[in-house]
Amino acid sequence: MAHDARPRRAGAEPQCRSHPRGWETALRLRVRFSKTGKIRFIGHRDVARVTERAVRKVGLPVAYSEGFSPRMRMSFGLALPTGYESDGEFVELPLVDSAVVDGVAGDTDALDGVDAPSAARGPAIVCRGGAHAPCEHEPELDAPSYCTIAEALSEALPVGMEVSAAVLTDGRGPSLQAAVRMCGWRFEIVGLDEAAAAKAVAALLAAGTVVTERVHKGETVRSDIRPSVEVLQVVGRSDLGAVLSAELSATPRVVRPSELVSALAPTHDMGKARRTHQWTCGAAGRAEPAVPSRCAQRQKETLSG
Amino acid sequence: MQQPRVGSDLTSWLFAYPDTYEIGLPNQGLQILYELVNERPDASAERAYAPWIDLEAEMRTHGLPLFSVDTHRAAGEFDIIAFNLSAELVYTNVLNCIDLAGVAVRSAQRSDADPLIGAGGHCAFNPEPLADFVDFFVIGDGEEVVGEITDVVGAWKHSGKRSGTREGLLRDLAGIEGTYVPSMYAVSYDGAALVEVTPRYPDVPPLVAKRTVADLADWPYPRRQLVPVTEVVHDRLSVEVFRGCTRGCRFCQAGMITRPVRERPAAQVREMVSAGLERSGYDEVSLMSLSTADYSGIAELVRDTVTVGAGGGAGADPSRISVSLPSLRVDAFTVDVAAQVSRARRTGLTFAPEAGSWRLRQIINKLITEEDLYSAVRSAYSQGWHRMKLYFLTGLPSEMDPDTEAIAHLAANCARIGQEYTKRASVTVSLGGFVPKPHTPFQWFGQNPPDELSRKVRLVRSALGRNRRVQLKWHDPAASTAEGIASRGDRRVGVAIEYVWRKGGTFQEWSERFDLALWQEAMSACGLDLDWYVHRHRGEHEMLPWDHIGAGLHRDFLWQDWQDALAGHGLPDCRWTPCYDCGACTEYGIEHIVASPVAPNGGSQGTGQDLATGHVVPVELRPRQLAGAGAPAGGGA
Repeated sequence: MAHDARPRRAGAEPQCRSHPRGWETALRLRVRFSKTGKIRFIGHRDVARVTERAVRKVGLPVAYSEGFSPRMRMSFGLALPTGYESDGEFVELPLVDSAVVDGVAGDTDALDGVDAPSAARGPAIVCRGGAHAPCEHEPELDAPSYCTIAEALSEALPVGMEVSAAVLTDGRGPSLQAAVRMCGWRFEIVGLDEAAAAKAVAALLAAGTVVTERVHKGETVRSDIRPSVEVLQVVGRSDLGAVLSAELSATPRVVRPSELVSALAPTHDMGKARRTHQWTCGAAGRAEPAVPSRCAQRQKETLSG
Repeated sequence: MQQPRVGSDLTSWLFAYPDTYEIGLPNQGLQILYELVNERPDASAERAYAPWIDLEAEMRTHGLPLFSVDTHRAAGEFDIIAFNLSAELVYTNVLNCIDLAGVAVRSAQRSDADPLIGAGGHCAFNPEPLADFVDFFVIGDGEEVVGEITDVVGAWKHSGKRSGTREGLLRDLAGIEGTYVPSMYAVSYDGAALVEVTPRYPDVPPLVAKRTVADLADWPYPRRQLVPVTEVVHDRLSVEVFRGCTRGCRFCQAGMITRPVRERPAAQVREMVSAGLERSGYDEVSLMSLSTADYSGIAELVRDTVTVGAGGGAGADPSRISVSLPSLRVDAFTVDVAAQVSRARRTGLTFAPEAGSWRLRQIINKLITEEDLYSAVRSAYSQGWHRMKLYFLTGLPSEMDPDTEAIAHLAANCARIGQEYTKRASVTVSLGGFVPKPHTPFQWFGQNPPDELSRKVRLVRSALGRNRRVQLKWHDPAASTAEGIASRGDRRVGVAIEYVWRKGGTFQEWSERFDLALWQEAMSACGLDLDWYVHRHRGEHEMLPWDHIGAGLHRDFLWQDWQDALAGHGLPDCRWTPCYDCGACTEYGIEHIVASPVAPNGGSQGTGQDLATGHVVPVELRPRQLAGAGAPAGGGA
């Protein structure tokens, strides 16, 4: 169910935040990465810091802000709560104007030692160590995909953060944070069997409102989480208990799986939780900002096999 | 990411920093040793940091031991647990970590198979307060000795750590030059007075001389600096440009015990900077030393450093590399160098005149004039900085109220200079209570009691009056008192440290956790006189608890320098002037390694020094005690 985004309420549309000045024209590299294992315990700001260092290690031509203390420009999707794993994190990196070289017309000196890019697939991205041509193996994608950059970034990031896609997009459109409208989750409820979990899920879905309490900035806030729940189901069990999956709309507000668990089984703890997807919604239905590239998948399988 | 190997046949070190991960991770000494041990095929090294009180409570509730951050291995499984001692107030944390490791806190109660507890770092130059808890101390530079210890412990490990062999192992360790094994020494007292520290075996040296690496160029470490995924106190690349300092500031233990000056070759610094930035992804590098503006050719070095990232391609824009210089020298030249490299917003700059009056600065041998400070401050304000931070010590030898009040006078003048340049000009005065340190000319001085330090803080505050441009901050005088106990204590204060730890007194360097009443209670419960240990002046012939530890400095040099201090005589920097034979070089047959025969330009700290010096220090050369087999002979003891 619910594979189309349906605005829940007229007044709940997220405001489309505009980018800082200077962003609109730049090409952006959109990177999809995971956050699994021990690294899930670092916070959002730490993720930004390690990403910034990885970009510098790879020598990606990412734009900096102007002013006294220039910072690397980057924009993430919805923040992942600390302690949660993810298969679908995104960061957009605006590139400097001189970053791309058209394979046919461009400065081919910069491409020394690199396969000449196919003009049909897209431009090459010039990094410190050399230029990266778009991948030839994924003709079905809309945007040029750079598997060698994905690989280099994975190598530069800490263990547990793997880059599964790096695609070039034009600079138009809202920021990822504003564009993401729905997230997919998978999470455990510790000590709850599948039957009990299914019963709790059915009860929650049948309810018109599900009011939960949470502490926000030192104050207890009561709110209805039911409008955000698009999909909720039991999908199996793990060593710890039932495993559920959910698709939660980012409007009217972003709901965390832990809030679902406290509504479903107040006396049970949540085990591991993993974000599986972030979706944007457009005229053509919902879509992920970037899907895992098959090249990157293949590399991962080769490594693990 | 580096992943140490694990194997039961490897001699394993756990390098532990007795404070939180955020504070401990950047420590360069620990990282150097970690890397050196891991380069050996027969050894492995991991790291641990003190768990904060909430984590400690969870660990104790669930019966979890102290474990390594690398592989989460229990601390008790390592052959050696070695602590970095950077400050005295961490001593209770050392005890807590040993206990959390599941090891007996007192060395005497450990069994043969227990890990050896080691310690090193600047505080190890007075090891006595921790003598009952630590099996061996390393005195001085660790680069060479860490390998020698690994050899000895490895041989013992492979012989099966059989019952009854630990004493023999400790005796072997005591034979390694620069390694002090407190249980190999008997200590005798006459009432309160320390009378004698004698080796218990003939092959144990009566004086443990520090280790010094002769040439930093042989040790380009860390090559693979650890890059934390969470935020830590110094989150940038660090490259040590020289070790040692001979400015001769008399309060400064680091400058006394790390002599001589050993500069890293400029080409090697450049190589370490460029390789380090590339593999870490950092955009900031700190050029580390005790006084980086004194590095030969510092201006050229920083100019090259900011362009070092220029490897082609837009991702390596050299203008993005920023350089930080710790411990700025107080003169305009230094500020110009800082201006050249500071790419970030210019907000605050820190200087350390240390004393308010020229009279007192001569006594402490911090030989900067008021004009030096004003020209530095003027230069900084004129180049866009608008907040100056000035570090001062109070409670210095012979300090009188006009000296203390002069701090306010200096700060107010700096603020006035700032107002000529910006309306936002402000000055922050940071006031620390002076704690005399072993192996310095001030080791005989009786520390000011906390109420006297508090009075001096009030004196500065009232001298500042209603000056809204000057902000005053001060270090808790009570903490200085506790630091004084551990700084110059003897073996007997160990029981008081244990008492404080048993009463929950961990993380004593954190102001929210510090409690002087607990230390006072501990001292009196253990029958120890706090005044006698901390506040009393000591005499020329009194045996000091660290007299059997050799920092290279002749005791008569230190005494003479103490007398010169009281007479107000300065002592020039021997890097650029003739040797006055403090002992640090002559004892070891080593020399300064300095690329330039003159000081980097500028101010009284540069070439313009013109000082009334003290008389020639009488020093005689005597044959040196051979501390270990195969040690080169030379110098005197």
